[in-house]
Amino acid sequence: MVAISGAALTAFGRRRDGSSFRDWARQAFDAALAMSGLEPADIDLLVVASESDFFTLQLNSASVIAGDLGLTGAATMRVEGGGASGQLAVHAGVARIMAGLAQHVAVVGVDPSASALPGDTMRDLYGFSFDAWTDGMTGASSSMLYALSWQDFAARHGATEADLAAVTMQNRQNACANPGAHLPRSHNAAEIAASPMIASPYRRLHCSPLSDGAAAVILSRPDALPQARQAAPRITGIGASSDYAHLGARPHPGDFSAKTRAMTRALDMAGIAAREIGLAEVYDAYAGAQLQGIAALGIAPDWQRELHAGAFDIDGRCPVNLSGGLMGQGAPVGATGVGQTATCALLLEGRYHAGLQPRRSPDHALADTHGGIATSCAVTILSQRAGA
Amino acid sequence: MNLDLTLSYDLSPGWLAPYIDGLRAGRAVGARCRTCAKVSFPPLRTCPCGGRETTWADLPGTATLHYRSTGSDGDFALVAFDGAAALCVARLDGFGPKDRLGIITAATGPRPGLCLRPVKEPVP
Repeated sequence: MVAISGAALTAFGRRRDGSSFRDWARQAFDAALAMSGLEPADIDLLVVASESDFFTLQLNSASVIAGDLGLTGAATMRVEGGGASGQLAVHAGVARIMAGLAQHVAVVGVDPSASALPGDTMRDLYGFSFDAWTDGMTGASSSMLYALSWQDFAARHGATEADLAAVTMQNRQNACANPGAHLPRSHNAAEIAASPMIASPYRRLHCSPLSDGAAAVILSRPDALPQARQAAPRITGIGASSDYAHLGARPHPGDFSAKTRAMTRALDMAGIAAREIGLAEVYDAYAGAQLQGIAALGIAPDWQRELHAGAFDIDGRCPVNLSGGLMGQGAPVGATGVGQTATCALLLEGRYHAGLQPRRSPDHALADTHGGIATSCAVTILSQRAGA
Repeated sequence: MNLDLTLSYDLSPGWLAPYIDGLRAGRAVGARCRTCAKVSFPPLRTCPCGGRETTWADLPGTATLHYRSTGSDGDFALVAFDGAAALCVARLDGFGPKDRLGIITAATGPRPGLCLRPVKEPVP
């Protein structure tokens, strides 16, 4: 079991202020470290999550960022797993502490996904984040592959465009109360249906944006926590799994089976059932992916009814993506998983944005991330200290 | 700082060479598992049954569309190739709204992508 002694995110969005990914990493780290009550010299290991050197044009970015953060001398590593990079970086830090090899680990996720390269170039690069020699060579984009996966899910589970609209409206509405969100917007179903087609049935408003930003968490061995942070939330379960990189090789291309396996492993480690998860940040690269994810995670077996009954609203049974998710808050890829974990920790502590803090504080929260079309899946369960 | 960086890759297909050569020639070449005899296309080096030894197998090259998506990148589908054990993603070239059957067409250009052209529905 590992404590989250500090957690912070920068604003996500398209930065036009001349700042760089190194500035954002420093901003997030400084805020998380201040919350932890620790000093840079206390950090044994820095884990950096960043999806691609193509974005930063900086190989071995962890060593460079360590210097910026005042961590030169600490061990450094970078973790990459596509969209799951951030969550896998958290797992790497947790494993290091649980193995007794570190007392305090800084995990920093960062990517300039919006501002460094033109959108068309990013789309080309993302086409290689699947099996580059098979699906990638066809020219199918991320949007196209997600759309095909959704169609299989929708056909077998009875999902509809109304479900996609409900997710889109809810996530962007949540983002309106998140001052760091990229797309704080209120949409109605007609606006969604009128937005340009990207890859049928996905329209522009069903898609998450590319964003710039950073997030950081400080992980600590509970017996090494400063006195003021003894009640910090705990990471009680981690789980990861993989699936075939090319979509058609899966028995059901719409099922996120690797996510189910990852969740089972995390639940076993935490010693809880999926129904005990009281809030979740779910990887919503596209509106349908959120529903495919909820179904695979098992947090709402009757997900369609619960979606429209308000179970995932702020005061529902299990609020989902209060941050706005990738669709509303934004998606600086390496920062995404770290940001989800930070968000869950802040929510459990009651320290999140006032308008998004549920009245009822849950015992357990879930951060869910994946790379590819749920090809590399990683989930983290956080718990209140009392329940840990 | 504005920086133009041109990268010219020379990537080798490695074990996938027969599959890639097949795409360029308009042939569907899959991998037949020596353990369960199922054919994967695109080829899987390790079969879902666990078999790690495969031989190359020519498929007829005809396929049926299961799910189709059209958008700013073009027209794509998850299709079932005759003789293959699972679905695969293919680019569609010249398909009408009701076309459901296709046949592999030779890949052109620098990227050897899997592409289908439509064929008429068989007479029932």
